[in-house]
This record gives sequence, structure tokens and C-alpha cells, in this order.
Amino acid sequence: MNDTEIIEKAKALLGDAILEASNPALRRIFLTVDPKDLVRTVEVLKKELGFAYVATISGLDSGENFEIIYHFGKPSSQLNLRTRVPKSNPHIESICAVIPGAILYERELQDMFGLVVDLIPDSRRLVLPDDWPAGNYPLRKDWKYERPVEKIPGGKS
Amino acid sequence: MKFTVPIGPQHPALKEPISLRMTLDGEIIRDADIRLGYNHRGLEKLAEEKTWLQNIYLTERICGICSHSHTTCFTQGAEKLLEVEPPRRGLYVRFLIAELERVHSHLLWLGVAGHEAGFDTFFMYTWRDREVVMDILEILSGNRVHYSINTLGGVRRDVDELQKKKVLDSLDVLRQRSEYYFKIGATEPSFVARIAGVGRLSKEDAVALCAVGPTARASDIPQDVRKDDPYGVYAEVPFEVCTADTGDVLGRVVVRVKELMQSYNIIEFLLKNLPDGPIAVRSPRRAKPNEVVSRYEAPRGENIHYIKSNGSDKPERLKVRAPTLANYPATVAMLKNGYIADIPLIFAAIDPCVCCAERAVALVDGRSGQENVVLMSELRKQAQERWKKAPLKKDAVWPF
Repeated sequence: MNDTEIIEKAKALLGDAILEASNPALRRIFLTVDPKDLVRTVEVLKKELGFAYVATISGLDSGENFEIIYHFGKPSSQLNLRTRVPKSNPHIESICAVIPGAILYERELQDMFGLVVDLIPDSRRLVLPDDWPAGNYPLRKDWKYERPVEKIPGGKS
Repeated sequence: MKFTVPIGPQHPALKEPISLRMTLDGEIIRDADIRLGYNHRGLEKLAEEKTWLQNIYLTERICGICSHSHTTCFTQGAEKLLEVEPPRRGLYVRFLIAELERVHSHLLWLGVAGHEAGFDTFFMYTWRDREVVMDILEILSGNRVHYSINTLGGVRRDVDELQKKKVLDSLDVLRQRSEYYFKIGATEPSFVARIAGVGRLSKEDAVALCAVGPTARASDIPQDVRKDDPYGVYAEVPFEVCTADTGDVLGRVVVRVKELMQSYNIIEFLLKNLPDGPIAVRSPRRAKPNEVVSRYEAPRGENIHYIKSNGSDKPERLKVRAPTLANYPATVAMLKNGYIADIPLIFAAIDPCVCCAERAVALVDGRSGQENVVLMSELRKQAQERWKKAPLKKDAVWPF
């Protein structure tokens, strides 16, 4: 199945759920869906189109919204499923029920962007330390790292 | 009665900070839990403040073993965004280094596998032979670890006739040695018996848990980005995807030994067909707003970078997914229902690659909550003691 056929089949199966579809390069497909259709789309991609492998999930801070891109792979193609959630209400549903291997990437998203992944099987922190101050999400664009002032014990001031 | 055994943050098999919590029933692992982040360097955030050229050398520092994988993955993505096409000679040199890196990484891993299985002679042999490929890399790039060969629009160093001859001569030595490793199992049945049936991962689990690289290929999934999504020169290079159907540590050894032979063929092909011409072209500094997904088959599996540009000389976002992270959920499945003595072997089998620092393993007694800090060397000794007493798996056969 080539890229155009995959896009057409996805459109036939999902209808209006697919907001945008593009194919910028060979074996690179980008689809955009609404967050409410996300899990249904992932299910269809896995069962009907054979995209059972999630390479990773990228988060992206684009000002008003968070863009979340699910990178799927299968031997003959690579598909990127994009969805946008508003920063004011950053909730997204977990896809672990469909693809259990996505758990680490969803936990990473929660840590780095402060997204809330609903129905996630395991919501503990993954990459940030346990004593990391709450409300600090490093990969948000407005977050800046400030190096704490170094104090030498016994040194001058 | 169940025990919980925390292992790490210092890694039991390799020298990497990761914390594992094992729930034990006797000496059988019933559940395993992974905690990461002891060495999180905030590299994705840092990349947003560096230019495209600086980021090549930044991504090179993600890993000390497969450094070239990350920088190549980033560079080929950045080149697409900057709309620059590297010349063919540059590409050949770039992927020559890539295959040499795969050889050194697999030889290193074979040694570690032998070490964890208590077969230290094998470890000494493979690491001695690894020096041959390290020397080639030093001759070609000037460096042993971070080759720094990539630049936007090509590579930084050319290969001359003398270097070519030297590499081809060394390749003969490496081939001979690898053929000897093929025969090892037949003459050393205890090695095969130690690794056969350990850390089993079924094909279904490997698919569901999104395993990559040799771990997936040992579970009979013919998944290799070089074949599936040919990047760079791989569309014109003949090679085979190596798989095994046993899904255990033995299978992972078999896959890697076979891949070594394939890599030698690729290196020979690249050197003998090295095209003439320049090695690099000039590249613009700014990239138009766009995005790209770059994939690369690193020695440990698929490496994927998502890069977004915003019109400036810096990336808007760089997302890096190294293959080891993808293999963690599969590792948990492999550890389940295995023995505590197999932890180092199973963990080493995915060839984990996070960063370096070794200290101790803490064993917690579930009943009293008492913590026991054990040195790694002690754990390895215990593991080997246990396997000396265990009956040999007489039916295990070396597949070569």
C-alpha cells in the first residue's frame, strides 16, 4: 500500500474525523484529528492500516495550543498523527489501551509539558526528579532555566 | 511471600543510571518497574537555543557509543529543512562511518554479553578485536568516540587511497575473527546453555510493546529502517535484514553476529564503490518554517528525530527518541517470570545506552524492609554461583 492509498483508506474509514492530511515526502504522512477522535483513530490505524508501532510522541508548544504528534511506523510507511489541545485545558486521552508500548512517551509528555493524559495506566513521573517543583514544565516555551546562585560553604558571602 | 528489590539508579549490567524495582517471589521475578531520569540533561530544551550547525555536535553528545547515529539522524533531517543535498561521496563517507560504528557497538555488546554470562575469555577476545575497528575510526575521523565527521551538506573529512587500503586490510582480520565467533557456540556449549531460553519475548509482545532493533529482530520481526525506509545510500547497498525466531538472549546474540557480517559487506561495498567528487556543499544558515521526521537504524534500533524549523537559524523543536527508551517496556516483559540471576544478562541483552556511572544494587527484604546494598561484582558472582549449580540445558543448540 503506498502513501496515497493509505491516506485514502484512512479518509474512507474515518470520514470527517480527519481534518487535514498531507504527504510532504515519500513514506511520510501527516494526519490531523480532533482530540476527541484520537483514540478511535489510533484504533483504526492499528487494526485496519497496520500501524501497530508507536515510535514516539512529540509534544510542541505553539503558543495558544499544544501540538501532540504521534509517530507511527510500519515496514512500508511512516505516519504522523497530529492533534491540538488548548493550553487552558490541556487534557488528552491515553492510547495505552490500544498500544501499551506508548506508556513511557505519555508519561514524558506529562512531565515535560504539563499535559494531563486521562485514563493513563501509570501517571507517575518518568524523567523529572521526585522533588521537582510543581507547575514547572521545562519544554514549555515560557519556561526558562535559572541557575541557582552557587554558595561555597565557608567561602566569602 | 513477596519481596521488592530496588536495583539502581546505578545500572546492574552496564554503567548507567536507571532504577528498577523488582517484585520477587523467591528468586522468581513477578513484576518489574522502571524509573528513569537520573541522567536527564534537558538536551531538547538546549537544542532550541543552538544553531543548526551547533546542534550537530550537541546531538553527537547524546550517546558515547552510537554518537554517529544521533548526529546523522539530526543532520539528514536538518539538511531536508535547509534544502541542501549532500554530494554522493559525502554520503558514502558518512555511512561508511555509520557501519563502522555498528561494528564497534556490536563487538562491544558481544563482549558484555559474554561477561554477564560468565564467559570472560569471550569478553577479552571481542574487546581486543574491537580495537581494530576503533583504530580504523581514528584513522578516518581523527577521533575514537565522537567522530565529528558530519556537517551540514556533507562530511568534514575525505578518505584517501591509503586509508582505503588500511580499512580493507583490517576488514579481513575482523571477518576472520567474527567467523570464529560463529563457531564459539559449538565448541563452548555452556555459553549457549547459559543464554538459551533466558529473557524470552514473544513476537506478539514485541509488537504490542513497540520493541525496536535487534531486540525486535530476535523475536522474528524483520524490522530494519535501513530496509523499510531507505535513507542515505541504503537504497543502493545490498544487504539482508538479520532475524532470529527464538526471542531469547541467544537469539539476540545470533542477530548481532549476523549483522556484523552484513556490516562488513556494506563497508566493503561502500569503499569499493566510493564515487568521485566533493565531500560537502555549502549550506544556508536559515531554514524555512517546516517540519521533518528523520529515522535512522542505530546499532540498538530505530532512532527517530522530529525537527521543526521556524525560519530562524535555530530549530523550533527537536524531539529525540533513542532506541533504548523504546525497548524498556519490552524489557519489563522479558524480566517477568525470570530469575533474579538473569537480570544482568537480560538487561545487557537490549544493549541499554543511557550514560555512565556504576555503584551498587540494593536488595530489600520484603518482610523486614531491611535494605541490603550489594556491589555489582557481588551480584554477578551470585549469578554465576547459581548457574554453576543449575542443570545444563542440554537441548540448547548453537544455530550456526
